[in-house]
Amino acid sequence: MASEDARYRETSQFQAWSFSPAQLAAMREKTNAIARQRIAERMLASASNPPTSNNTSHANTPDPSGHGTPNPTENSTPTLPDFLKPEEEALLVSFYVSELLRAADHLGVPDEVRATATVFFRRFFLTNSIMTYPPQEMILVALFVGSKAEGRFPRIIEFQQKFNTKQDILAGEFLLCQGNRFNFEVRHPFRALMGATMELRSYGDIDEQRIIAAEKRAHEILLFSPLMTDAYFHYTPSQIMFAALSLADRGLAERLIQETFHFVPPTTNNDNTPAVTPLPGLENQGIGRKEGGSKGITTNDERAAIVGPGIRDKVMGTIEACRNMLSTELPERKSHWTSESIFKSQIRPVRKKLTKCRDPDRWNLSELQRQRREAGVRRADSEERPAASNGSKDAAIFGGDLSADAPEKKRRKVDGNGLEDPFGGPL
Amino acid sequence: MARPLDPLGFEDEMCPVCKSRKYLNPDIVFVFNPECYHSMCLNCANRLFNDGPNQCPHAGCNKTLRRKGFRSAFFGDLAVEREVDIRRRVAAVFNQVEDDFETLQDYNNYLQMVEDLTFELVNGTDERRRQAEAQLQAWEAEHRADIERNKKAGREADEISRVRLAAERDAVRQRRIEAIKEAEAEKRERVRSREMELDNLAKGTTAMTAEPATKVQLKRRGQVNRVAETASNPAIATTGMGTGASEVERLSIRGLKEKPKAPAPQGPYDPFGGMDFAPSRYKLHGGLSHPLMEKYRLDRQHVAGGYSFDDFAARALYEAFAGLGVFVEDEKEVGSGIGLSQETSMAAGIAAVVDADKMDLD
Repeated sequence: MASEDARYRETSQFQAWSFSPAQLAAMREKTNAIARQRIAERMLASASNPPTSNNTSHANTPDPSGHGTPNPTENSTPTLPDFLKPEEEALLVSFYVSELLRAADHLGVPDEVRATATVFFRRFFLTNSIMTYPPQEMILVALFVGSKAEGRFPRIIEFQQKFNTKQDILAGEFLLCQGNRFNFEVRHPFRALMGATMELRSYGDIDEQRIIAAEKRAHEILLFSPLMTDAYFHYTPSQIMFAALSLADRGLAERLIQETFHFVPPTTNNDNTPAVTPLPGLENQGIGRKEGGSKGITTNDERAAIVGPGIRDKVMGTIEACRNMLSTELPERKSHWTSESIFKSQIRPVRKKLTKCRDPDRWNLSELQRQRREAGVRRADSEERPAASNGSKDAAIFGGDLSADAPEKKRRKVDGNGLEDPFGGPL
Repeated sequence: MARPLDPLGFEDEMCPVCKSRKYLNPDIVFVFNPECYHSMCLNCANRLFNDGPNQCPHAGCNKTLRRKGFRSAFFGDLAVEREVDIRRRVAAVFNQVEDDFETLQDYNNYLQMVEDLTFELVNGTDERRRQAEAQLQAWEAEHRADIERNKKAGREADEISRVRLAAERDAVRQRRIEAIKEAEAEKRERVRSREMELDNLAKGTTAMTAEPATKVQLKRRGQVNRVAETASNPAIATTGMGTGASEVERLSIRGLKEKPKAPAPQGPYDPFGGMDFAPSRYKLHGGLSHPLMEKYRLDRQHVAGGYSFDDFAARALYEAFAGLGVFVEDEKEVGSGIGLSQETSMAAGIAAVVDADKMDLD
């Protein structure tokens, strides 16, 4: 196994956020099904409670004990809306990603921030339905958190000035982090593209203008196509980079692949090129690479597994598949997402549908955060009471007030929930 | 030695044999015999037991005492004196240390047993005391060899620490003497150089010559310091020798249980768990360049901070080729290694959404 691949396999991007297309589709189905079920329950619950009583959050949140009591004759009044299908959700997510890219242009953020924010957004709406949380707000949250994750720390005032919202961004921050399972590092293909052109330049026989043009075009593609598709879920950054390079200049990408996977196993060689004496050109360079590079790789089998023709063909196949995916969303499609006619014909009907079937409790991020805080305070209160009775006994013995025992309270809170998922409770 | 102040308590101060008191005879010395712990004045003891063994003069006590056994008390309360004697004797017999036991629990049990026995000897009834005494003697007879060995070990440890303390004390004294000597030499030097300066002034020479004098003094001071250093070194060397000797001595202690050996050294700690960072698909060479890099290579703001363009090239190349041979579709579908567990955890994450009723987030 190549050492670079081994290192990539250690990243959270591979371990937690890489899926095969089938898995991805299954996850979207599941997310959609769960969201339908939850939203339907909440709608029924809020309909069974008269709207006058929703002065507190408690009346709004579905009560598990009282959940079975409303009989069907009562709550038959609100008819359940038509929920979005997974494909419609995916379409909307793509639309909102294009909106996110527009917002990023408006803010003028660097490429990494733009890409990271997009990936955060996509990952968030992989395990959360777009019917549950408002995508329009989550765009800004993703941009805000993405900037932070890339080491730039924008002031919320800037966002407020540009987008005229502040509270929702702050309210959604933690939610987005949870939805991303706190995996903040996203690997991007931008620097990889620079590396690839460096390598191409070092061959010495390629026209500089050609490289520059290819890099420019590939960069443009990388800024749009992988973000608009699921490429980040299915392919590694270097594969995405090679696919973009191949879209920009197929010859250069293939040359780079050929030079990289240069190894010719000795069994397939001809009489005039014996195994022990390497070829003057490529092979010589290859041997030098081995010696300068990794420590223990000596056998031909191992080398063939890393830079042999077998893996080369497989890599090329993967890059070709990625290329096909990217080519569905070339930068020229930017106008497609912003055009009025497309919006009217495709997006608006789905959005209308969305306004009917969105989650009544979770759509307003600020309100949601306030409710959760209140619930937290109430729970802390109810926990304090038994602790206080204990504490008074202890206080009688030790002559001090021990009821304000914060770590104890915290521990109990942790014991109570979140045991099955280390990243906190369900969203 | 301090006895409780007892201005009126003469009964304590009276010899029960000759009835002389401390008040009348301030030089009176009380002695007792550890056979029965009855006190009397030294005169009476000499008088009664000079001719050989005799019965204790106390009423009701029929112990036969010898002159040799009498001694003066360390504690005012003879009961305490007796308990101390008993404890000393028991400790001499039960002299195992913690290292002799397999577990701390065993050692604690042993200490408990010894303490029980001691209590019986000190406070028990006659019957129980005799019993405890018999036990003690039986143990002593049985484990004579062990006791001897432990005693020797204790003595050796005492000896070692005594030697070390003495060496340290010696070194400290040596250092102090050196410091005093140095201070005196410096004082003398100062007086001398001052006189020299005065002489120079008297002769009417310029400051040019005075300067070398102070320089000479400074030089000398440095030398003195160096001398002092070398002087203190032997002291360190002697203490070092002391510890070295102690190590040799410690090896000669027998009878300790085998200590578990420290695990064999595993080589230096590798924070990356043996991951190979050498590139296998590409080679780093000097010819890597990029227009952007060239632009910044001339930018002083970048170069001044020590920005490494080679590092950037290495990172860019690594990113270009990292994961090229990772086929997400294959590896995640098959669930090879890491993939499966992660996928299940993600599935759990989604499934957790089902329990949204129980949801309480902060």
